[in-house]
Amino acid sequence: MTNAKPKPKPLTITITPDAAEHVRSFAAEAGKPGTQLRVAVKGGGCSGLTYVLDLVDEFKKDDKVIEDQGLRLGVDRKSYVFLAGTSLEYYGGLNGKGFVFNNPNAKTTCGCGTSFGV
Amino acid sequence: MTAPSPPPIQQQYDALTQTVALIDRSNIGRLSLAGEDALDLLDRLSTNALQDLAVGHGATTVLTSNKGRIVDVLFVLQEADSLFVLTGPGNQETVSSWIDFYTIIEDVTSRDLTGETAILSLAGPDAPTTLGELLPAQTKVPNAHEAVSAVISEVQATVIRTDFIGAPAYDIVVANTDGLQLRNILLEVGAEPAGIDVTEALRVEKGMPAFGKELGESYNPLEAGLMPLISFTKGCYIGQEVVARLNTYDKVQKSLVGLQWDGDSAVESGTRLLLDDKQVGVMTTAAMSPRIAGVIGLGYVRKAYATPESELLLESPGGPTPVRVTPLPFDTD
Repeated sequence: MTNAKPKPKPLTITITPDAAEHVRSFAAEAGKPGTQLRVAVKGGGCSGLTYVLDLVDEFKKDDKVIEDQGLRLGVDRKSYVFLAGTSLEYYGGLNGKGFVFNNPNAKTTCGCGTSFGV
Repeated sequence: MTAPSPPPIQQQYDALTQTVALIDRSNIGRLSLAGEDALDLLDRLSTNALQDLAVGHGATTVLTSNKGRIVDVLFVLQEADSLFVLTGPGNQETVSSWIDFYTIIEDVTSRDLTGETAILSLAGPDAPTTLGELLPAQTKVPNAHEAVSAVISEVQATVIRTDFIGAPAYDIVVANTDGLQLRNILLEVGAEPAGIDVTEALRVEKGMPAFGKELGESYNPLEAGLMPLISFTKGCYIGQEVVARLNTYDKVQKSLVGLQWDGDSAVESGTRLLLDDKQVGVMTTAAMSPRIAGVIGLGYVRKAYATPESELLLESPGGPTPVRVTPLPFDTD
């Protein structure tokens, strides 16, 4: 018997299979099936910070690159501190919100869920 | 027997309200924001719609926290390559840090110009004429919220019409080293120096809130009467959800009101206002008004008691003083 605690998972950004499929679908619709997803945070929105998703041909030099669900994600280096541990999910349907960031760093979120505070 | 000459305070007040006064506003913070995202970022951090500001035009906007509280009220001028921002007195570092915190992917660089510049202001009904005499013939006197860059008797200056005192008023921004020369130029054309007592008196008469007194993190823009500085259609900014909810559901708890009492104006900002031994408000500014020849003030009072002629007690050092709630501004005839 050992008392060793399980090692905490490294803080990274993950994407659910459904969200990854929708990224690929949007990229194909845009006529750029090989494009990659860039994730960042910008100031603003009701709660202080807003998520930014972009389909890009190339990541920026300092981006942190993560691979998940067969997709390459580039994360803006300064934004990463606000995003570490986030799961990018997708909620479709008539009342769905589209891409949703399940972000453990968010202490507050606005009503529509597009912005958060830390 | 000749009539005694008016006391200096009355003289200053007359200049400010009837001719033209010279006011040193160098305590106001000055920042330069460079980078292609500067205007977009400020638009996302504050209440007013800034996106369409043309070069040479400015707007006043409220920097709000995510709780909808006031961080500062800024005057933002679009210059050719950057933004020039006026903050509250001595508040430039807080504003600069606030902007820096929210600069993540944006191309924005802030620089503090407060120490290297001076602001002298011409204020009063004759200020436009006086400024017109100083500006080169081909330079138009700026309208409200506009600015021009000009050489005034060999001094390079940016002249911004901010109307900070609720009357025609131009902030003239020059290099610190040119401040004294500009002051002499303005005195030579007849501007009468006006000090803090007089500018505060006029501000209170006009019911204008000031940073550090009526404007700060204890209050939201609706309580402070800053509705004209809020866009309800431009979309999200920090605090927007709270401000919109307060407005839609009429949840504003207190109002900025005028106060009037007999006695002393030497009462500290923050002194409590009582009714039946319970606090119902706070006095934020007290001033001796030359117009009313008495003490007036500004304060926040819970909405139920913010009606004209409500009688409250001011917890002043000399003992409780009866205070009348009065509508703003004081200076309507």
